[in-house]
Formats: sequence, structure tokens, C-alpha cells
Amino acid sequence: MALILDIATQGAQMMLVLALAPLLTGFVRKIKARLLLRQGPPLLQPYRDLLRLVRKEVVLADNASWLFRTAPYLIFAATWVAASLVPTFAAGLMFSWAADLIAITALLGSVRFFLALAGMEIGTSFGGIDSSREAMFATLAEPAMIMMVFTVALLAGSTQLSTFSTYMASSDVGLRVSLALALVALIIVAIAENARIPVDNPATHLELTMVHEAMVLEYSGRHLAVIELAAQLKLLLYASLIACLFIPWGLAKPEANAGDLAIGAVTYLAKLTALGLMLGIFETAIAKMRVFRVADFLGIALMLGLLGTLLLFVSRSL
Amino acid sequence: MFQAVLVSPQLPQWGLKFFIPAVGAMMALAAALAVAYFVRMYGVAFLGRPRSQAALVANETDRWSLAAMALLALLCLLSGIFPGLLIDALAPVTTQLTSAHMPSQTSEILQSLVPISESRSSYNGLLVFIFISLSAAAAAFAIHRLATRSLRRGPAWDCGYPDPSPMTQYTAASFGQPIRRVFGTTVFRASEHVDMPSPGQTRPAVYEARIHDVIWETLYLPIAWTVEVLSKLLNKAQFLSIRSFLSLVFFALILLLLGLAIWP
Repeated sequence: MALILDIATQGAQMMLVLALAPLLTGFVRKIKARLLLRQGPPLLQPYRDLLRLVRKEVVLADNASWLFRTAPYLIFAATWVAASLVPTFAAGLMFSWAADLIAITALLGSVRFFLALAGMEIGTSFGGIDSSREAMFATLAEPAMIMMVFTVALLAGSTQLSTFSTYMASSDVGLRVSLALALVALIIVAIAENARIPVDNPATHLELTMVHEAMVLEYSGRHLAVIELAAQLKLLLYASLIACLFIPWGLAKPEANAGDLAIGAVTYLAKLTALGLMLGIFETAIAKMRVFRVADFLGIALMLGLLGTLLLFVSRSL
Repeated sequence: MFQAVLVSPQLPQWGLKFFIPAVGAMMALAAALAVAYFVRMYGVAFLGRPRSQAALVANETDRWSLAAMALLALLCLLSGIFPGLLIDALAPVTTQLTSAHMPSQTSEILQSLVPISESRSSYNGLLVFIFISLSAAAAAFAIHRLATRSLRRGPAWDCGYPDPSPMTQYTAASFGQPIRRVFGTTVFRASEHVDMPSPGQTRPAVYEARIHDVIWETLYLPIAWTVEVLSKLLNKAQFLSIRSFLSLVFFALILLLLGLAIWP
């Protein structure tokens, strides 16, 4: 019985992230539009877009191989699995023991690998330019992410997200410099990985500015829908990661009853709303930076992560 | 490997303590650079439009060669799914090298990889693999059954500039350019030089990138230079007259005997 309940909770988690991902994207778009005094698209617009794309016929380039057609599903599946590994409303889900934060980073790395390959596949210059830029960002974002993981893992003595969020929710954490550094590093990495504004503009199709958009330029119809959904899932993943690592209050404990789960779900939604609001405000307030400035931007994240880890190496109380 | 970094604060040496987080970051950098490298190699060699006449008429190789590659790929996949078996198989080697080895992994249920203890971290490759394949299959099935599976082939989108020449594609050098700009300027002292003709001139634009291998230049080139100078000097000794040879032998003998006499 307990096993069935565990599987049900895990399934609910997988379905929840899938269902919420387009809503979060729609919410951020709405916030940005309202801040610019526009009406903005309705909150449900991303769902409608996905539905429209799924129903449309796929136009495939003449020289597209099997790799180009399977890559969207691989990208989607790996992102979905990574997103369902992050505790959203409950810690200690059955599946969360299968992989830790380092494995999630590796899953996202393989997603990037397939995306970059798909960008190179057709042989247009746009795909190439953005695959190379994505590879450049990855060389800076992945070490920064790993350093952030080290900082939080040194504190909690575990790379398991469930263990860590339980530890963070307990009272013996206190205010720590290293955690603040890790939070800033994670936010910078999240912004870069999700191609949000200072790094990339998700709303434009200008070849000088786009990074993520041009890799998927040749995709259409259901393939594009799957890739879009994967990108929305990735945004949700990073939001959930920030929520479960740094604002873990309300997260249901491993041996929780239905009431705790409900509280966890409500607080999770509140956290997502707050994070979406902050992202919208941040994106409206800041301008897009040049591509080679991104290296400095991500370098800050790397340095902060390294500093956080070093502080913990020097003293456990920092 | 990353778990090793996390237990390193227990190390007694302070120098190592500061060094190890940087090693962790370097490992992550190596992983990301490996991704960039494989995308570049595979993307330039196998993807895109054929870049040469030879590539245009290339045929697939025979089944045995393909099977050999597929076997290796399968072994890679299996070692990722069942890392415990591999680690146990390598245990004698690590015992010989470091006189320590990972705890035995095969006792774990469902092939979970547990480097130190369950509460620290665990990784279940099989479960992750099953979930990825299941969700990929579910997504493909749902979309193909519930939506459309129609597909049309057409030319790639050309942005209004049909470019029939495969020369316009990204090459290995152009793929590596952003990474070279970020890392190369400091690590390899790379410099770029663009010679753009002014309007009206018919000469082609020239782009040149210079890369210095710092280690090669500071460590190996001086040695090579010294060896070259010495061998040139010695080369002169090969073409002396018989008189000079005799005097050379004489002086060398005196020098050696002197050395022998002075030697305590």
C-alpha cells in the first residue's frame, strides 16, 4: 500500500511539473507585459501554442537525418526526468533517491549536447553559430553549477536534494555567507541556462541576439512543441531548484500525510509565483548584454561558487 | 569523483584543501569542454550538408564495421546503466594502485551506485535510464497517436538568401571560435587579425587567428633550441683536419687526466 502511495506521489509530481511548466512561462510573460503597460497574452496562451504546434504538420529539411527527428524527444525526456527529480511539494519521493544534484546537472548537460547537435544538423549558419555559443556558455555555466552544488553539499553533507532541503528547513542552518554566494551563483546560472534577458532574449528572433532560438530554428510542428515544452520545463526546474534549496519551508517531509502534501503544494505554488514575479521584474529592468560579456557574467557565478566552497573549506560556520 | 571533493575538508593538509575545489571546477570544465568537442567533431564530420565532393558520394561502410562500433557504443551505455558492476570489476586495480577501493556495489538492490553512504548520495543508472526511455516513448506515442504524424520535406529555411554553397556552413574553426575567444586569449595568448578590404577593392577579406602553446614555448622550445645549438657546435668537430683532431684528442686527454688528478 505504501509503495502504491509512493508511486502515486511520484507520478503526481511528474504530472505536476509537466502541467505547471507552460503556466510559469505564461505568467512571466504576463508580468513582463503588465510592467510595460501592455495587456499581454492570457496566462493559458503557452498551452494553446503547444496545442496548435502539435496539430500542425512538420516541415523537415531535405537533409535532416534520424538524429534530427529523435533529438526533440530525447531532449524532452531528459529534461522531464531532471525536473521530476527536483522536490517540488514533497521531499523524499521514491524516485528522488535515483539521482542527486550532480546527476541532474549531467542530465541537463546531455540535453545541451543533443540540442547543439540538432543545431548543427541542417547545416545553416544560424544553427552553427548558436551551437557554438551554447557550447561556450556551457563551459562556464557547468563549472559554476558544480561549484554551487559543492557549496550546498558541503553544508548538508549530501548531494541529495531531499536531504538538503530537509536540512535547510531545520533550524541549525542560520544565516551563512556561503549560502548567499551559492544562491547568487545559482540565480546567474539559471538565467543563463534558461536564455533569459541579460544573456539571451526569449522574445526575439534577431540572429545577433538569439542563442537558444536559433538552434531550434529548423524545427516545426510537433518537434517544436516538444522542444518548447522542454524549455518551459527547464525554467520550472530551475525555479523549483531555487525554491527547494533556498526557500524549503512548507515542503512536505518524507513521512508526510495528505494534509502536509496539500500544504506543500500550496506553498510551492506561492514560491513559483514569487520567483516568476521576480524574474519578470528583473528582466524588465535590465538590458540584453553582448554575447562575449556573458563570459564575464557567468565568470562571476563561477567565482562566487568557488568562494562559497572555499569559505566552507576554511570554516564550517561561514 | 565529485563525491571525493566533498569529503576533502577532512584532509589534514591545508594546501590540498584549497586546491581541491579548484580541481572540482576543472573537472566540470573538462566535462563541458568534452561536450563542446564531441558536438564539434560529430557535427562537422557527420552533420550538415556534404562539405566536399568525397563526402557527397560517400557510402555507408559494411555491416561488420558498423556492428563493431555498435558493440562499443552498447558497452558504453551498459557501463553507464550498471556502474556498480564496472566499479567492482575495477576494484583489484584500484586496490593495487591506491591500496584502497570503493565499497562493494553489487549487493545494492536494483544496481544503485552508492559511493559513500545512502544519505550522502546515490545514483541509480538503470532507474534513470528506464525513466528517460519511458518518458521519451510516452511523449512520442502521445503525440503521434493523439495529434498528427504528418510530415513534409522541404528545403531548409534560408532567411531569404538561398545559399547553395556548403561553404557557408559552420566549420570546426568557426565552431570553436567563441570558446577560443573566452579561454584562448589568456591560456593560449590567441590573437585575431581581420583584414577587411574597403568598398571597391576586389581582394578577398583575410581572417587570421594566431594561437600560442604556452607550455610548448616556455618549456620545450628552450630545450630544443639548446640541443640544436650544441649539435651544431659538435657538427663542426666532425669536419676537422687530422692535425686539429690530434690536438683535440690531446687536449681532451689532458683535461680528463687533470680532472682525475684533482678528483679527491
